Amino acid sequence: MLALSRKANESIVIGNDIEVTVLEIKNDQVKLGIKAPKHVSIYREEIYMQIQQANKEAVAGEALKIDSLENLFDENR
Amino acid sequence: MLTNTRYFGTIDLDESKILTFPQGIMGFEDYKRWTLLYDKDTRKDGSISWLQSLDESSLALPVVSPYSLIEQYAPIVNEELLKDLGPFKEEDLLVLLALTVPKDVKQTTANMKAPFLINPNTARGIQIIVENENYPVHFRVYEVIQRMRGGR
Repeated sequence: MLALSRKANESIVIGNDIEVTVLEIKNDQVKLGIKAPKHVSIYREEIYMQIQQANKEAVAGEALKIDSLENLFDENR
Repeated sequence: MLTNTRYFGTIDLDESKILTFPQGIMGFEDYKRWTLLYDKDTRKDGSISWLQSLDESSLALPVVSPYSLIEQYAPIVNEELLKDLGPFKEEDLLVLLALTVPKDVKQTTANMKAPFLINPNTARGIQIIVENENYPVHFRVYEVIQRMRGGR
């Protein structure tokens, strides 16, 4: 991984259209500003990883279990 | 085309049923071709379907319409992120949530934070993270179903 030291109000540029600026450094927290084209999705890493994990757990579901859940849905009608 | 599936054996799938997810789905970014399979011929609205990978037969996720769980599912998304779907009318979009079904069925959750959006007109799909702060990745569905039953 590339490591760059930056101070508050300094930036890095990624490719030719993404700019990440250190807006504020306060105690153990850094506030980042990100300028990127609208089609680029930007997520906090933990939420992206949570969803990756949720999809993996969904794939691991057993059909048998899902049948019983489906019965619950059907009984609802 | 003949294709292997996780739960339905080998099936003959009409090519028009192939859904392309240009970005894959999260955690399975390399798997771009999927299809939707239904459990029963007598399927009712709101029951569970399977999002089955056509690249890897062992990959299949149970999915359900959010509207079968909550009346008001109103995801907020950045429109730019919907480009992969091609042209669509909002009312045509199919919205589905992945279900995580652990050993104890009562602990089943639906992923409200990252729905699948499918455009039937272009057969393209995406999984997207919505901006709604109060939509959880693990939304417990069992209690909801119980409540619906109790409310009848």
